[in-house]
Amino acid sequence: MASSQELSDFLRDVERRAFKQTVYAVRDDHAALDIVQDAMLKLAEKYADKPAAEYPMLFQRILQNTMRDFWRRQKVRNLWTTLLSSFGAGKDGEEDHDPLDTIDVEDESSNPAIQLERSQTMRVIEKAIEKLPARQREAFVLRYWEDMDVAETAAMMGCSQGSVKTHCSRAVHTLAALLQKQGLGSRALSQLGAET
Amino acid sequence: MSTDNSKHDLPEHESDAQHIDLQAQQIAGLLDAHANRLSMRTLKQLENGRERAVKAHAQLISGASINRDGTSSSISAWAEQHRMAMAGIVLAAIVAGFLATQSFKHQEASDAFLLSADLPPEAFVDRGFEPSLNDAHARL
Repeated sequence: MASSQELSDFLRDVERRAFKQTVYAVRDDHAALDIVQDAMLKLAEKYADKPAAEYPMLFQRILQNTMRDFWRRQKVRNLWTTLLSSFGAGKDGEEDHDPLDTIDVEDESSNPAIQLERSQTMRVIEKAIEKLPARQREAFVLRYWEDMDVAETAAMMGCSQGSVKTHCSRAVHTLAALLQKQGLGSRALSQLGAET
Repeated sequence: MSTDNSKHDLPEHESDAQHIDLQAQQIAGLLDAHANRLSMRTLKQLENGRERAVKAHAQLISGASINRDGTSSSISAWAEQHRMAMAGIVLAAIVAGFLATQSFKHQEASDAFLLSADLPPEAFVDRGFEPSLNDAHARL
């Protein structure tokens, strides 16, 4: 059984990636926060007796399931929103931003131009990831971002290892093509990676 | 022939796979770096969620139960564990409420009948009134 300190350390380690991963999937910061917080609580409540070594897999599974629950609820909500949309004024597609949300905590660069350029590049990458089909994005995130091996990713996604490889390959090709179109080739990426 | 082809294709295939891995790792590295630059507000909310989860974990280990908002509750834990009993209690409360409503309506109807009748209310209380009424009816 994992101690509370082990759980705390694990969550501290994964929470930022989990949040961003959820944002890419649901495209809503507030919903993503709710989902991650819910997943954290579910892990603590339902798997308190599990050893800490099992936490990465369990947490990812809970997170994916919580995202699916969100999509199910969203479908029903969207149906009503579509039906009632004629009564309300529509959004322009851009949300209002709170200045607090745009303050970066650990951006060491003091040059606003560099910060802006980096932020715009990351926006392009994030948009490209958001555009990926759900299964491809899931495979890419689990395999490369969460650093799971092919077998673990397959177990997590409930598919064969061959499917994981296919999803990953397609995801990377799609991402590369999208980024290339925006002028972000492999060289630009590695240059950006060296700067960060 | 095909064996030769596969021999020639293998290094190219491997290099392609390596290239894919490299690109994917570059993107993942950038995402990782970017994920470390979340806003103060988001970090604070994530921290709150983590603390709530850790608190829940600690209380579960110590044998107590907690609510979604992090407060401890033995009633909600009992309800969670005894769903059938809870359903029974709720059903019994509904039936009791229905019977009470029916009884009240019956009482109301009786009062309305007494007040709207031509006879005075004392006539209905008098035990001899109904036999004498029957006698009078028989004599007619």
